Amino acid sequence: MAADLDRCTGCGACVVACHAENNISTVGAGQAAIGRAKHWLRVERYWEGDFPNVGLKFVPVMCQQCDNAPCEPVCPTYASHHTEDGLNAQVYNRCIGTRYCANACPYNVRFFDFFNPSWEKPLQLQLNPDVSLREVGVMEKCTFCVQRIRGTQIQAKAEDREVRDGEIQPACVQSCGARALVFGDLADPESEVSRLSRSPRGSKLLEDLGTQPKVNYLSRQSQA
Amino acid sequence: MDRRSFIKLTAITGTSATLAGCGNPENQLIRFIPAEDIVPGVAVWKPGVCPLCRAGCGLTVRVMDADAEVVRDGQAGIVRIAAAKKLEGAPDHPVNRGGLCPRGQAAIQITYHPDRITQPLRRAGERGQGRYEAVSWDGALTEIVSRLDALEGAGNQRALAAVTQSGRGHRSALIGRFLGAYGAPGPIAYELFGDEVLRRANGLSFGRQQLPTFDLANARYVLSLGADFLGTWNSPVAQSVGYGRMRQGRPGLRGAFTQVESRMSQTGAGADEWVPVRPGTEGVLALGLANLIMAAQLHPASAAGRAGALIEGWNAGLANYAPREVERITGLAAARVERLARQLGDARPAVAMVGGPPLAHSNGLFTALAVNALNALIGAVEQPGGMFFTPQLDVATASKASGSVASPAPTIDRLAADGLSGGPATQVLLVDGANPVFTTPRAWRVREAFEKIPYIASFSSFLDETSILSDLILPDHSFLESWTEALPESGSMVAVASVAPPVMRPLHQTRATADVLLEIGRRLRRPLDLPWQTFDEMLAATFAGLPSATADVDAWTDAQAKGAWAGPLPAGLAVAGTAGASAAPGTFAFTAPLFDGNAEQYPFYFLPYPSNAFLDGSLAHLPWLQEMPDPLSSAMWSSWVEINPATAERLGIGTGDVVEVASAHGALRTAAVITPGIAPDMVAMPAGQGHRTFTRYASGRGENPVELLAPVTDAATAALAWAATRVRMSRVGPPDGRLILFAGGMREHPAGEHQR
Repeated sequence: MAADLDRCTGCGACVVACHAENNISTVGAGQAAIGRAKHWLRVERYWEGDFPNVGLKFVPVMCQQCDNAPCEPVCPTYASHHTEDGLNAQVYNRCIGTRYCANACPYNVRFFDFFNPSWEKPLQLQLNPDVSLREVGVMEKCTFCVQRIRGTQIQAKAEDREVRDGEIQPACVQSCGARALVFGDLADPESEVSRLSRSPRGSKLLEDLGTQPKVNYLSRQSQA
Repeated sequence: MDRRSFIKLTAITGTSATLAGCGNPENQLIRFIPAEDIVPGVAVWKPGVCPLCRAGCGLTVRVMDADAEVVRDGQAGIVRIAAAKKLEGAPDHPVNRGGLCPRGQAAIQITYHPDRITQPLRRAGERGQGRYEAVSWDGALTEIVSRLDALEGAGNQRALAAVTQSGRGHRSALIGRFLGAYGAPGPIAYELFGDEVLRRANGLSFGRQQLPTFDLANARYVLSLGADFLGTWNSPVAQSVGYGRMRQGRPGLRGAFTQVESRMSQTGAGADEWVPVRPGTEGVLALGLANLIMAAQLHPASAAGRAGALIEGWNAGLANYAPREVERITGLAAARVERLARQLGDARPAVAMVGGPPLAHSNGLFTALAVNALNALIGAVEQPGGMFFTPQLDVATASKASGSVASPAPTIDRLAADGLSGGPATQVLLVDGANPVFTTPRAWRVREAFEKIPYIASFSSFLDETSILSDLILPDHSFLESWTEALPESGSMVAVASVAPPVMRPLHQTRATADVLLEIGRRLRRPLDLPWQTFDEMLAATFAGLPSATADVDAWTDAQAKGAWAGPLPAGLAVAGTAGASAAPGTFAFTAPLFDGNAEQYPFYFLPYPSNAFLDGSLAHLPWLQEMPDPLSSAMWSSWVEINPATAERLGIGTGDVVEVASAHGALRTAAVITPGIAPDMVAMPAGQGHRTFTRYASGRGENPVELLAPVTDAATAALAWAATRVRMSRVGPPDGRLILFAGGMREHPAGEHQR
């Protein structure tokens, strides 16, 4: 994935789209107050300077799907593991809730389910049947909308063709009006996400930790 | 008890205990036969229209099977229905082009809200108590019809009033026609953060009384005066699409953007340069820039035509707005004014926009006219990279409406004042999609006035501060359950008419308000002369007159399939511009903005602003939006007041502390958020929270900044000047947990100082 911070407006559409797509339960004010709110994707903000010379930058942060992911080796049950196509997958049925992975993750993108999710009826009708619900004691995180990736791959296979560049859109990418988020195949040098990843504006979050994250952030330009 | 009977007894009780504990109670419900053809597990995408603001974005709705609990003939059971699952922006819609804002994403929770009103209700307790009894649709309609017949019998049709959401679409037109045919004044559309001032200004400057559309994708420089165009103002998704292209959509060419405002908005955060000026002086800055651009002979004064001529001293080169004078009034250094003028004058194409706080002052109309004149001067009007006016469909002509048009409505404050002072009193009030009790300043006394109205009927889907005063509730379908339409006022270069048939069957015993009005019209003793039986007939009549975009399919069928019609309007169906300006040349000059409260007693400017999550509060009932972190503060489920760090230090206030904010009209206590993005002499507060009554998620949560507002209005338009109140502020206590932040501390404060 690539995130162009020069396009990002900080609106938060991606945050709500992620909740809607991935059946992320809201926890309510009381639980949110003690740090248990779950946002697989958040928009961070960085203030610079003091009034009146003040600036603010937005950075959308989701699981960076690291190639050398600190969350994976610490998991005693292989719930947190690497897939063949390079995703950091979380197998909820294997997770026993040690929370080691959340402690190891430098990006703070793993969220623990402190209780069973509930939806006050009939809010449960909004649930996406393609995404499993997580029960108490399980760690959950951004999957790059793996259900959409697999769905598109299956569709392409049924039509006996390759997946087209840009055909797979995670919910956050789909919702973004400014097109700040771009998703695609980094292994394909011709894809748009590969092209953006070669931009001189590109960098990765906390790259010096050696996590080899797979989200490229294209920095905001300043006007010369 | 002998052994035999003991065993018998344990066998019976044991079995029944096991049975009772067996599985979920849902599994004991009867399964009804589905009423629709559904392929389980297969998603269907249907078009929709987002109802949340006036932008009129197109939706594509994912529909799949789901089990819903229903009651049929008194028997509870479950049935498989085709249910909406996810809302996304329609990729081909000319306004939003696939994007959707966070509010639009959350709109699905309106349909599935646990506190929706599920059937007609009649008041059972005292007014405002919220005690209602169920009534049949037939009973409810009979009741409202008898009320209207009684008015008509007394020859008092003008005592019927309707308060609605503002809008230009068919629904508003239908309500207007209904009222006109009955003989009542037109609908009263009140919006807290409305744009009436800008519409009026555009009418005067350009002959188009509507919001502008910006061609950001082709702009090289954008100067925005207070407009939160990437967040909540005008057509935010359309503007975000253009903004993304302006920034990085043209190889080697990146458009620049300056934001002028005293409190950093979400939009201001994206600016290359952020320029604070004194509130209410933005128009002076605009004319100061015009003065320099004319002086440098980059453009002649005559280039601004009619828009420029309205401004006093324009043809003389605006001598009163020289940089020194601009510095004195706005507080912005003269050298910086000169630099901004060079930037604006040199970049082609460039455009200025104005919206929000600068127009919410007593001199709002002047400010808007000044920016219009500046745009005309730099050649930004109807030019690529500039501002445009989306052609508007004339609904009355297109839908072949006949009969009388309702006479102009009074404003909501006029209606309330008349009702309280013995003026022409309203006898029956209809409320559709508006909550003026929550969004009007206390001094207008809307609540007291409504309490005196003998009969109020509401079409609301939720009990809010206004609908709880009603005697009869005729709940509307949700937007996914009914015909929806929008005629976007802006956001597209060509005319757009969005339309979508119902996406799913109604979950509850509700009815589409438009159809209910038509039925009431038919049932009256003197039936109203309305040419349509149902709302979709009205829509069909409009679309029948539009040219089809697809060969061998008519426009009506084509638009339903796509969710929108777009293209050039046929002659006679477009709203004509108003050519003759009603203001004489040279009429408008800067007058200092009026503020309520003297500066010694009330040292701070008070800026309420539309919340990114809730707008004016109409969306505070949606849990996804309550839990979405605010873009600038990361606050969830909270209210807060934003304070400059220097001010906070002087007053001994830390983030999360409870502070009291008071104006001459009211006081409230809320949590402090210390942020560098606000002037030291200003405090700001998001609107939207502070509902007394608005479902389980919003009731009793946070504070409503409208409670503090003074009834200052823009002189020319009578629109509320919501940025014209001054307040005082003091710390009243330490953090008490009412401020809930998703992130850790802001940069100014070490972690741990405020609670997580």
